[in-house]
Amino acid sequence: MSVLEIKNYTKVYGEGKKAADNISLTVEAGDIYGFIGHNGAGKSTTIRAIVGVLDFTQGEILIEGKSVKEDPIACKKITAYIPDNPDLYENLTGIQYLNFIADVFEISQKDREERIKKYGDMFEITESLGSLISSYSHGMKQKVAIISALIHEPKLMVMDEPFVGLDPKATFILKEIMHEMCQKGAAVFFSTHVLDVAEKLCNKVAIIKKGQLIESGTMEQLTNGQSLESVFMEVVNE
Amino acid sequence: MNKKSMLLLKTLLRSTSRINQIKYVKDPKIRGKAIGGMIGLFVLYLMIVVYSFMMCVGYGQLGLTDSIPIICASIISMLAFVFTFFKTNGYLFAFKEYDMLMSLPFSAKTIAADKFLYMYVASMPWYLSVSVAMMIGYGIYAGANPLVYPVWLVLTFVLPIIPMLVASFIGFLIAKVSAGFRHKNIIQTVLIFVFVIFCFSLQYIIEALVKSDETKVILENVSGSIEDIGSVYLPIAWFADGIRSFDVAGILLLIGVSLVLFELVFMIVGKYYRQINSALKSHGADKAYKMTAQKTHSVVNAIAFKEFKRMTGSQAYLVNAGLGEVLAFLLGAIALFVKFEKIISVVTKGAPIDASIVFPAIPLIVYFCIGMVATTACSPSLEGKNYWIMQSLPIEQKTIYRGKMLYNMYLTVPFAVFATVCLSFSARVPIVNAIIYLAEIIALCAFSTTWGCVCGIKHMRLDWENEIEVVKQGAAVAIYLFPNMLVCMGLVVLVVFLGMRMDANLVSLAITAIAGLLAALCYGWVMKLSRR
Repeated sequence: MSVLEIKNYTKVYGEGKKAADNISLTVEAGDIYGFIGHNGAGKSTTIRAIVGVLDFTQGEILIEGKSVKEDPIACKKITAYIPDNPDLYENLTGIQYLNFIADVFEISQKDREERIKKYGDMFEITESLGSLISSYSHGMKQKVAIISALIHEPKLMVMDEPFVGLDPKATFILKEIMHEMCQKGAAVFFSTHVLDVAEKLCNKVAIIKKGQLIESGTMEQLTNGQSLESVFMEVVNE
Repeated sequence: MNKKSMLLLKTLLRSTSRINQIKYVKDPKIRGKAIGGMIGLFVLYLMIVVYSFMMCVGYGQLGLTDSIPIICASIISMLAFVFTFFKTNGYLFAFKEYDMLMSLPFSAKTIAADKFLYMYVASMPWYLSVSVAMMIGYGIYAGANPLVYPVWLVLTFVLPIIPMLVASFIGFLIAKVSAGFRHKNIIQTVLIFVFVIFCFSLQYIIEALVKSDETKVILENVSGSIEDIGSVYLPIAWFADGIRSFDVAGILLLIGVSLVLFELVFMIVGKYYRQINSALKSHGADKAYKMTAQKTHSVVNAIAFKEFKRMTGSQAYLVNAGLGEVLAFLLGAIALFVKFEKIISVVTKGAPIDASIVFPAIPLIVYFCIGMVATTACSPSLEGKNYWIMQSLPIEQKTIYRGKMLYNMYLTVPFAVFATVCLSFSARVPIVNAIIYLAEIIALCAFSTTWGCVCGIKHMRLDWENEIEVVKQGAAVAIYLFPNMLVCMGLVVLVVFLGMRMDANLVSLAITAIAGLLAALCYGWVMKLSRR
């Protein structure tokens, strides 16, 4: 069974503009799936629909066979979402926020302590977890959002521009974590503008333009010996 | 209420309370501000306690002790309805952390219901301030059975639920209707204003409808008798009967109806929650713009224009800050068609008052509407995360605040002048008086603007989670609003009183001079604060 299956997904805004038009794609266990496109192409809208934040007009989105529309809670239990600009509760300390997320996912005390320590140390933020989130830099907030996404060991991790604001070491660690997750049978679906990262990291990629999926498949199929950047420039300029 | 709902509610409360700041922030300035804010709120609660208790003393002295529970229930119900109605759209829909919460395994119903419960808990100190004071007053004058106190307290926690649910549901209906339109924000704002004006005029509509009706006598009794308020809005009667005669049926009805209504409202809201938020929070950027000739503005005007766009871009801000202007405009427009004497007769319910004694109060009546909220009281805090934009620009802080103050003058003066001119015209006051009234209202607008700015800077709060926190319930707005409105009401009485004993124009000129002087002092204060 696919981890994520998007079938004929269409999103029309109130003013009649199509943000996403008949998009279909499949993410299998072990995939690191890159989702690329211009600003305003429909990437974030699609991602927000996948994680159950945004309603959509037509089509179906399934996570491990469960419909996001019909059974959103079951889908969200196995999904993690990291938005491009995480709006965390600024008046909570980092540890209070992580405990809140751990409580929501009913993570045992032992597991949460282990995981917070592990990822906190990896991202070198453990020592700052006692401070209010409002005092954090953008990158630190991003790190807390990433740890909160990893705390329940999701089957599907959906990220919108996850590398923005991260320092080089944190970027490296996040990439390692993505590989590690996929080796354990989870899947990662993320949007990015950094094509070099996508090319090196992803085994599958989809290109979206003006709400339509214009290319998708494995990295090898898509690039066919060329760089992802030149393929992208070619298809979006057509 | 399940475990997850409790967890979310606890987190929402923790994330907006100042306790975390006091506990975890080491910067003494921030801690001091947080403590100061809490003390300020406590003082406001105390003021309400004193005011409510004094009201009870009045009723007790008049031998109307039995009416106290009804008065208490009426005040709490009205406060609950009004507070919630103005907050609903900011709290329930299109709030900042919507994406984060909706991506977690919470049902839409849980999130919506918890947002409601958050409003309920956050407003409870206001209701308790009224209720506890009135409970003590009632206890003293009625020599009440000790059982009255626990029953009163328990019912105080239940009483606001129904009006809050009704207000939330109306807010939901407005959001649902506007979600279907292209210009959602404008439609939502217009619908809210229409509803507010409808509520304001409801009493007069009922009276007008029954003028030639046989039921006139019955309804006249309804509006005239405190006791009969309970027959118009049953939960008030259930509350009062529960306290006065320990009517178990009333108590159970109040609790039962509140719980059933809660479930029902959030079953419906939860069903459409994602759909409405999706519509309100997602927009496609238009790609049809053609570069045209651009205009230049002075720095201060550019800031004022930015303030205008900030206000019109936020439905919560627009409704709260624009309500006074809308009311002033309506007051002026009505005055064009209805004689001043008639307006006074309607407002005073036909009391035998010579309308001419109210003439000197015209600017103050207009100011009561206009001065309700000054944009300068909330706009410094509303910069929020965008504060860096202004801070990084090569302009002095005092220029920023001059721009903010200029915008409030642009917003208030035209409406204030329109309403004052219309009321003066309707009252057929001599031209000299009208000119004095105009000078007075402009001085009052200047005072409102500068005093609002002082409050806004002194109690600036940039780390809000929801803009309602600073627009509606921020310390700056509360400190600006309450004394301002109380003084305004007091001045109306004083002006009428003095106007009968001396030249009313002299009184108006004196108020103009005092307001102008206070405005100048506050302006100086703003300049001083902005140098820090």
